[in-house]
This record gives sequence, structure tokens and C-alpha cells, in this order.
Amino acid sequence: MQVFKLYFKVLRKNLMTPLIFIIVFVSISIPMSKAASADKAFKDTSLKIVVFDEDGSEESKALTEFIGRKHKITELENDKNKILQALYFESVDYVLIINDGYGKKLTTGETSGMFSTYHMHDSYSTVMMTQLLDSYVGSVRAYMAGGMDASDAEQNAADAVFSEAEVTIARDKASEDFGASVSSYFRYLAYILVSVIISALCPVLLKLSKKEFRFRTNCSCIRSSSYSLQIIAGSVVFIMFVWGLMMIVSLTQNGGIFRGNAWFAVLNSFIYTLVCTGFALLICSFEPSDTVVNLMTQVIGLGSSFLCGVFVPLSLLSDSVIAAAKFLPAYWYVKVIEMLKGTEAFDGKRLAMYMLIESGFAIALMLIALVVNRMKYSSASVKPLASKKERKLNNKISI
Amino acid sequence: MENTVVKIDNLVKRYGELVALDHFSLEIKEGEVFGLLGPNGSGKTTTINCLLSLLSFDKGSIEIFGKKMTPVSYDIKKEIGVIMQNVIVSEELNVYENIDYFCGLYITDKKLRKQYVEEAIKFVGLEDFTKFYPKKLSGGLLRRLNIACGIAHKPKLIILDEPTVAVDPQSRNKILEGIQELNRNGVTIIYTSHYMEEIEQICTRIAIMDKGRKVAEGTKDELKRMIKNTETISVEVLGLGEDILTEIRTLPHVYDVKYDEKLLVISCSGGKHNLIRILDVLQKREVGFGRVYSELPTLNEVFLEITGKALRDKEE
Repeated sequence: MQVFKLYFKVLRKNLMTPLIFIIVFVSISIPMSKAASADKAFKDTSLKIVVFDEDGSEESKALTEFIGRKHKITELENDKNKILQALYFESVDYVLIINDGYGKKLTTGETSGMFSTYHMHDSYSTVMMTQLLDSYVGSVRAYMAGGMDASDAEQNAADAVFSEAEVTIARDKASEDFGASVSSYFRYLAYILVSVIISALCPVLLKLSKKEFRFRTNCSCIRSSSYSLQIIAGSVVFIMFVWGLMMIVSLTQNGGIFRGNAWFAVLNSFIYTLVCTGFALLICSFEPSDTVVNLMTQVIGLGSSFLCGVFVPLSLLSDSVIAAAKFLPAYWYVKVIEMLKGTEAFDGKRLAMYMLIESGFAIALMLIALVVNRMKYSSASVKPLASKKERKLNNKISI
Repeated sequence: MENTVVKIDNLVKRYGELVALDHFSLEIKEGEVFGLLGPNGSGKTTTINCLLSLLSFDKGSIEIFGKKMTPVSYDIKKEIGVIMQNVIVSEELNVYENIDYFCGLYITDKKLRKQYVEEAIKFVGLEDFTKFYPKKLSGGLLRRLNIACGIAHKPKLIILDEPTVAVDPQSRNKILEGIQELNRNGVTIIYTSHYMEEIEQICTRIAIMDKGRKVAEGTKDELKRMIKNTETISVEVLGLGEDILTEIRTLPHVYDVKYDEKLLVISCSGGKHNLIRILDVLQKREVGFGRVYSELPTLNEVFLEITGKALRDKEE
């Protein structure tokens, strides 16, 4: 097991970059996934409202009290400059002045000149407050027209306007098993798997497959097949470790063991791990320098992520980008996630097709790497250790 | 009777239409330090690659320790130590780990391996550097590490392909002493180098290769006798006349005389008492002279005369 041990010693010395990727990913993905989860929850909104009561009537006090039931009444000096400054810096959302005569107008049915306001033009708080005041005034009048006195009408109007409806976000079974938090995690995983596997696997494979090192090993009593098998075994152990680690982290996102359709996401991530391995093998077959390996890691990692819906949702990508993305495995990986998330209706056959396409990419990448290596080996076996100089000189030797 | 360790018979290796080894034969006996000499592209490295079964060949046969050598002759490979021209070690392993790795490719017993590794470290004098990584080692120490990796498993045959390239004289001396010590312990050695003085110093038998063929083989003295020049006599002398030079040229065994008004250089081919005859002529003519040198040919001269002086790296 000399080569197997060497594999991990070499890997240990080249772990810095992949470790950085993992640490950054875990520390960023967890809050991002939480945020994604929070976006899906329903939350009532409370505004910071300043009320200047110039009327001072029972009606105007009732209105102030009504507003204060849901929103936060904030104190502010009645100075135009200060009001505008507060609105600009968003320390208050809306300033309402209950004009003198509001109480009278409410009972007589007059609608104009009841309020003056300071607000940010076209802001959602303005729309919200305008609707609230209209509803309130309209309801009070309706109750009064029905024979209620002003006090009861105001009470009933306030109750009617603020009656709370129970909000339930409808989710199908599939998306229940695969929540927003964990789906975001699995989406970003596509980037991290590519980055970690290429940046860790390539340097090790390149070093152990270095022609001279390989020839030196071939001089010993270790079989060539055993050498290759030990390298493969090392790679499998490492890849499974990376995938396993990512799955353990994903359990924290999921809040426990996966259920139902979420297992498809686990399988999908495993297939994508194989795709990443295929990328790493293909890169190694061209014997690039460390700089080129780093460059390829970024190009494949970021390129796939931006084009295939990892960083930017597929719905925001143009048709031409999606058409191009179909030629990349990350697109099919994201398609599976989207289906499990519920963005696309769940269909077992299509899900299987997406995963098969992804597997096809993995197999194709590995086969191409194998062919390139075979071609390289057959050309190298013509003259393995001869220097360029020696080759040049041999060319001059005539038969 | 000495056993034959390596027997190469009629080896032919072609690269397409190019012939790298042209019916090359060689026999190396047990306990020899065999020097393989040749200009760049002469086929030395190809021979070694064929010998180690790293390269297939078109014709001929190779036997090591009396058995046919094939890529799967692991029992033979176990007895061979290889020290390549380039330092082949892992940058990620320290000195001890590197030697242990290469030794472990031959020796599976951990306890025995530990002992062998420690012996190899001591042998090359790297005791103070066992925790050092290759990047921290000087060129000489790296070469010594390379050698330790090749000999740690105690092979019976060691192949050294230019092991002293770019090494300082002290390290080179240490390496050569080590090789001689290994030989004294009964190890057969095949040594290739461009440094003639090294070959002269350590090799008991030498083969000179050129264009894939063996052009000469023998001991140092046998090789020196193969060339025309067997002795070069230099005399510091002033004002020699043409008549004296003519008389010297007519002396037996003298085949070349050069004089530059200060130094007289006479090349002799064979024969004995050449120096006495030359000095007799000078004394007879009452010519005073200074220092006198008589030099036997060096291996370098033998090599250049056999393989020619034309540059091999020059583009045509």
C-alpha cells in the first residue's frame, strides 16, 4: 500500500486550496440558505408612523389609537425640515397630520382635507397607509350610516380593518421534503464540488502520474496495475470523503435525516461528484501546470455556476444562455434541484432522464480522459526517457 | 569463474526508421563496475531503458542473473537498484519518507525496511537531513538522496545513469567513494557518465557506444592501447632549428611533432624508451631544455579518438 499511503501524503500537502473552498462555502452557504428559508415565511409588516393631531377631537384620538394598534407611533418635532430629513434617512416611514376639523368632516361625510401627509413618493409604506386610512374612514362611515354612533363605528371599523387572516403557504409533498434552505444548499454545492475536487485531485494525480516518477516506479517490483489501482483507490476514498462531508453539512441544513424526495438530491449530488471527478481526470490527462489547474478550476466552477442556474436562478437566464447551458452537466444538476424544490412539476421519468444525462456527462468525461491518456501513453512508449536533445540526435542517425 | 550478471545479445531498437541500438551486445560479470560511455544520442539511455524493460526492443535478448528480463520479471527487478539521471523523489515527502517509499516498493516487511532505510541514510551521509524536504536540500544532497532511494533495498545490481551531474567536487567524491564501497560489498554496477575521470577512477571495464553500436570495450589500459597515441612528450626548449625537428620526426614511433618556439610536443605511437631517444637527440645537438613531461593518453583522448571530435549537439 506504499502508493496508497503516498497518495494521501501528497494530498495532505495540497489540501490548502480545497480547505479554503470548503470553509468559505460552509460559512457562506449556511446563512444564505437560512435567508432563502426565511424569504418563504409570511410576516406582517409594521411601519414607523408619525402622527400630528391638529384636530384634538375624540375621532382623531381614536384614529391615532387605531394606527398604533399595528404600527409604531414615533415622536417627531413638527418641523418641515426635520420631517423631510427623517423620511430621507428612513427613520420614519410616513408622517400623518390629522387636520383641524377631521372629527366634524368624518361625521358629516365630507372627504376632502381630512389629512395632510409627508411621505416618500411611490413607496410601499405610502400605498399601505393610504389604503389603511381609506379603509378606516370608509368603514367608520359605513357603520355610522348603519345607525351606529361615532364611538362604536370607530371601534368596529378598527376591528374590521385589522382582522387577521391566517396565512398558510401552500406546498406540495415534494417541496415539503426538500425545503428552501436545503435546496439552496444543494444548488450551491455544484460550485463547491467542482472547485474542491478539481483543486485537490489534479495536483495529486499529476504528481503521481508524472512520467519519470511512473517509470522509476515501473523499475521496482510493484505491478503497474497495482500502482494504478492504489491511485484509483486513493481517489475514490478522497471523493467519497468530500461528498460524505458535504452530505453531513447538508443534514444540518435539513434539520435531520432526509425524507422522501430529498434522497434524490443526495443521489443527484453523488452523480455530480462523479462529473467533477471526470473533469479532474480530463484536466490531468493534458498534464497542465499548477497555474492552469487553478485557472481551469475557476473557469469550470464559475462558468458552470453562472451559466447553469447555480448562482442565478434559471428563470432569470435568457433562452440563448439556457440553450448553451444544456451542454453542461451543471444545468441538469440544477434541473433536478428545481424539480425537487417544486419550481418544476415533479415527474419521476423526467427526473430520471435528467440524472441519466448527468451520468452520461460523467462517463463521457472519464472516457475522453482515458482515450487521451492511452494516446499519450502509446506515443510516450515509443521513447519514454529520451531527452529532446537525444531525440534530435537520433533523427540524424541514418540506417 | 565469475557469473554473468547482465547479458545483452544482438539488441536492435528502432524508432520508426531510426536505429537507436544496432545489434548491440554486452556482457557484464558479477562484481564489475562497468562504465558505459558514449556521446549524446549514442544509445546509452535506450540501452538502460531496454535493460530495465521500460522500453520494448525489436530484436535480440536481455538476460539478467541468467534469466530473461521482461516487464513482469519482478524477481529480477527486486535485485536491481536504479539511479536515474534526473533526481526522482517526491517533493511532498521528507528525506526519510522518500527513501522509505522507494524501499517499500521492494521490501514489504516494515521492520526490515526501517533497518534498510536507516542504513541507506547512513551510507549516503544524510543523517542530519532526515526531516528535510527535497526543496530544502542542495544539489549534492539531492543527488545523495536519489542514490539512497535507489540502493536502500540492497540490490545486487545497481544501474547509475549519470548520477553526479551538477554536483560539487566534495559531493561527487562522496558519491564515487560510496559506489566503490558498494562494489567492494559485492554489488555489480553499471555506470554511465560524461565525466571521463570518474569512469577512469571507478570502472573496471568500459564499453564505448556510438550511434547505437559498441565501438570499443575493455579495461582502461586495453582501451588506451587501442588508439594511435600512446604517449605524448612535452619539452620546454627555445630556438630549435628545422634540422633538429626533422631528426626527431624520423625517430621510431614518433608520428607527430609540434613546436611553437617555446614548447616541443611529440606524439608517439607505441614503443618503449621514446623519451630517452628524444632527450639523446637534444643532448647530442647540445640544446639546453627546461621541464620535460611524458603523459600517457587519457580516457578522454581515447573517447574523442574513437567517437570523433565532431559536436553531436550541433544542428545539421
